[in-house]
Amino acid sequence: MAQRFSDMFLAFMSKLTSKYSIYLILLAMLVICSLLSPAFFSAKNLSNISRQISITTIISFGMTMLIIAGLIDLAAGSVMALAGILSVAIYKATGSLVIAMVTGIVIGIACNLVSGFVVTRFKTPPFIATLAMMTSARGAALLYTNGQNIYQLDQFVIFGQGDIFGIPTPVIVMVIISLVTWYLLNNTRFGRHLYAIGGNEDAARASGIKVNQTKMTAYAISGAFVGLAGVLFMSRVNAGLPNAGIGFEFDAMTASIIGGTSFSGGVGTAMGTLVGAFIMGFLNNIMNLLGIQSYLQQIIKGGIIVIAVAYDIMSKNKKTASQLGNIEERGKEA
Amino acid sequence: MVDVPLLELRGIEKLFPGVKALSEMSFAVQAGSVHVLCGENGAGKSTLCKIINGIYQPDRGEILINGKPVVLRDPLEARSHKIAMIFQELNFIPEFTVEQNLFLGNEPVNKFGKIDWAAMRRQTVALLEQEGLPYRPDTKLKDLSVSDIQMLEIIKAISYQANILIMDEPTSAISTKEVELLFRKIAQLKSQGVGIVYISHKMDEIFRIADEISVLRDGRLIDTRPASELDIETVIKLMVGRKMESVFPEKKPQAPGPVLLDVQKLSQGKTFRDVSFQLRQGEIVGFAGLMGAGRTEVVRALFGLDEISSGTISIKGQPVTIRNVQDSIEHGVAMLSEDRKRYGIIPVRDVKENMSLSSLERVMGRFGIDHREERKRDTEMSRRLNVKTPSLETLISSLSGGNQQKIVLAKWLLRTPDILLLDEPTRGIDVGAKFEIYKLITELASEGKAVLMISSEMEELIGVCDRIYVMSKGRISGELQRKDFSQENIMKLALIG
Amino acid sequence: MKLIGKLALCLLSASLLTSAAWAQTPAPKNGKTYRIAYIARAQGDSFAAWLADAVVKEVKKYPDTQVTVFDGQSKNELIASHIENAVTSKYDLILLQPLDSEAQVAPVKEAVKAGVKVVTVNNRVNDASIPAVDADPIQQAEVNAKLAVKQVPQNAKVVVLMGPAGNMHSDKRREGWKKFFFDQRKDVKIVGEQIANWNKDEGMRLMEDWIQTHGKIDAIVSMNDNMAAGALEAVKGSGAKSYPLTYGVDGTAEACLKIKAGEMTSTSLQSAFSLAELSVKMSHDLLTGKKVETPQFITAELITKENADKFIKMHKDLGNIK
Repeated sequence: MAQRFSDMFLAFMSKLTSKYSIYLILLAMLVICSLLSPAFFSAKNLSNISRQISITTIISFGMTMLIIAGLIDLAAGSVMALAGILSVAIYKATGSLVIAMVTGIVIGIACNLVSGFVVTRFKTPPFIATLAMMTSARGAALLYTNGQNIYQLDQFVIFGQGDIFGIPTPVIVMVIISLVTWYLLNNTRFGRHLYAIGGNEDAARASGIKVNQTKMTAYAISGAFVGLAGVLFMSRVNAGLPNAGIGFEFDAMTASIIGGTSFSGGVGTAMGTLVGAFIMGFLNNIMNLLGIQSYLQQIIKGGIIVIAVAYDIMSKNKKTASQLGNIEERGKEA
Repeated sequence: MVDVPLLELRGIEKLFPGVKALSEMSFAVQAGSVHVLCGENGAGKSTLCKIINGIYQPDRGEILINGKPVVLRDPLEARSHKIAMIFQELNFIPEFTVEQNLFLGNEPVNKFGKIDWAAMRRQTVALLEQEGLPYRPDTKLKDLSVSDIQMLEIIKAISYQANILIMDEPTSAISTKEVELLFRKIAQLKSQGVGIVYISHKMDEIFRIADEISVLRDGRLIDTRPASELDIETVIKLMVGRKMESVFPEKKPQAPGPVLLDVQKLSQGKTFRDVSFQLRQGEIVGFAGLMGAGRTEVVRALFGLDEISSGTISIKGQPVTIRNVQDSIEHGVAMLSEDRKRYGIIPVRDVKENMSLSSLERVMGRFGIDHREERKRDTEMSRRLNVKTPSLETLISSLSGGNQQKIVLAKWLLRTPDILLLDEPTRGIDVGAKFEIYKLITELASEGKAVLMISSEMEELIGVCDRIYVMSKGRISGELQRKDFSQENIMKLALIG
Repeated sequence: MKLIGKLALCLLSASLLTSAAWAQTPAPKNGKTYRIAYIARAQGDSFAAWLADAVVKEVKKYPDTQVTVFDGQSKNELIASHIENAVTSKYDLILLQPLDSEAQVAPVKEAVKAGVKVVTVNNRVNDASIPAVDADPIQQAEVNAKLAVKQVPQNAKVVVLMGPAGNMHSDKRREGWKKFFFDQRKDVKIVGEQIANWNKDEGMRLMEDWIQTHGKIDAIVSMNDNMAAGALEAVKGSGAKSYPLTYGVDGTAEACLKIKAGEMTSTSLQSAFSLAELSVKMSHDLLTGKKVETPQFITAELITKENADKFIKMHKDLGNIK
């Protein structure tokens, strides 16, 4: 009896640590950071962090969907800048916030549809297709602005600097996008098809899934997120910056990967990505609060990424092993 | 005089997290003999072989070669003791050529450490010639069929000049003709004093080549006896621990219904020509033939995976055009591929998602997928097919081949198709699960579905089918009614032309 | 409509342009024409773009001279190949805005050896024999620092925003701040000093964190205006009632407007016009065989609330403020 109970307890703990390992890391970070700096655990600082991570996290959700389907988007940062710049320009020309926002989103979708088309139609590896888009979109942003920043955005700043009931607007948008992503991945055929395509494209096709159409949709949705991020970004910094977002695609991927998305495709969740983004946000924030030197920050960040991902993979392996054990036992009972 | 055994295992024990894979395993292989291991999937055969090949290390017990204890830390060390293994799963690099794959990890080098391509080519040509295989040494592996690759795997192992050869289901993917080739090879190796450990599910094979048979069940050795003292019945009894009622399910004879699928003069380039056949409701039709006869290609084209160059397809009397998989699914066609890993399962996803993949639109509620409805439906289906899984959230790749196959079948049954195209539905599945699949196929037919079944095991076709078409070199060379079923008749038609 | 037209033009020209050359003045009808290759560090960098524009405009004042602009795209190897191509295409003079003081030495020496004159502007190569026109980064900081010495209160909490690691301008400006401010005001405490890579968003994020840790910050010392403007956005977002003393460098349109509005304290202008004027004159003198003095420095102008209008007008003329 006692033996049985302790077995159950161990099984429970191992399930907890494997399935929820990433949440445990987040919790541990929360505790450690609070101990390290008194300024960390305050409503204001946590709201600050949420606002700081919101824009890359919105891109991250699109990136997560793409990586799940075995795709990638290296152009996210550049397309974000282009979408943001054109949104700002449209705002300055028309004075309409709605048209400006729609423009940003449409530009994001359009750029990604081009990438998606090149990927699905010409079977170009997504890495190459989006690399090309990365250069082109950046070039277009620079060409349009002639390399100059755009200033005096007036009302445009409400997207990025405003708040609703004290919660910063970008954070609200991030939460909405995370719910949208969660819904798409869990409750729609599109989501299931993404997992299937990333997990085994041949089998997905042989199961009657419209693979190309699904990939195009994934690019379009992530493009919409990127465009939205561009509008929020320019609004938050109160300027149209053609050089904005360099390297954002990698921050977005980092959050995704830390959150358990697998680069081999077929695995990943919206919640994981959100948690991954917060882990990176906590890390950046605490290092600044503690005044850690810039170069050292980069080294520490790299180290933490490796530890988090390795821990996650190890606990997942344990899970698979214990599942195998279960099956063998079941087999014996039968 | 008692010989010292070539290979001896004493009290081997192996633990995996949460499960004891092997316990108290002791057996010996004599030089110049074939020792067959049988047992259901999960009985521990593959684990045992991996221990002999140095992939796993035993937690207890010892391994002796020629009476001397050895430690095998990895496959390279096993190779240095002249142990070679042919895997059940194919271990080749598709982008490499035949010769590169043959010499992978064992490339001939000159004194500067540069790969000696000329020597490699010479040795490859010699090997291929010696084994009577018609491939060019510079063919890429991805351009060869599964059975070609399996034969290469075998000659690769032989090329190491091993004394101890482990074969894990070497015939699961090769044709009858190639099996003969393999058996001749085995006889030759035996005469050279090589000891062979042979794993197989196929009873007729086992009794043809075995000198000794060991039966494993649940990680334990049940019995080892000379093959001459055993028969099929006894071996199956030992394997499952209970007596099989009969290998093939009883089938109620019934009058076939109307024609569901009518194929006329279907052709596809050089792979197959003028293939015409019919499939009636409630009928199980077999497709027999040698490897490469074009059976798989016909079925793939019917399912919309490959294009056809000419011919007509009618379903329920209506001519249809099938451009892609969606088209054929629309017309109530489902297909089980011979290559389950590639075309069947999404390995990183769970049982439920794999099962639901093709029929999600049937469980859509107001807010997207109705998870409760999906679970209810999938639970029912897995109960019906007797899928053994800890839960619907278990990764499909952690289940046995038989259970995976049932889930792929369930995926299609959830769409309630009228026509089922089954390509080698029992490949790599153990005896117990095979019986269940046969029973299912029979049930589905009696429910009014039309079943087309490709198999390389003639016994299986004879046991299950109502009619058999035989293909040879891309054409249908004959059709057999149940009363004419025999292995000789099938072989005759398969070898025509 | 105009906007859409401009956008369409952008996309069209982006797809058509295969050469890096994009501006060309027509050749005069008679006499010897001097051809100058202007190699910009990166057209994507707003100051570099302004300087390129200014150089093109300045050259128009010399009817016997024409200029072609090449974009170095922040890549040393690309700049090197532009230099080589200019030599091959027999340009008379290369006016170079170096990206890296060391990396460009070798190609420049090759060009000189091949008989092409070279003038550097805005940054120098590590070879004193090459004629150069430059702004003095230490002096750019100095004019701001001297103001700060008087303005910053006793025991003030100060944060410092740096450009990219190892960037010469960032390091030299920081040196100027040390010499003319921090060394003289030992009472001041630096509570945060980080790299924000010249970026507005990074300056903003860092400032948000600093406000969390240290509460009210008395002064922001930034090595460029972009980062200072970002920090000010963070201050605005924190709900603070007043802005800290904020010093930048560059004299961007945004900084001028913020100074005018009383949000920012001062910046210093590294005038692209002055650089262009001096460097094109030096180039023309060299081409016409006159003796030149090198290196020549432009002086940085301090921009404060008092004279901000003048610079806002300049930016309006440039089209930076619409």
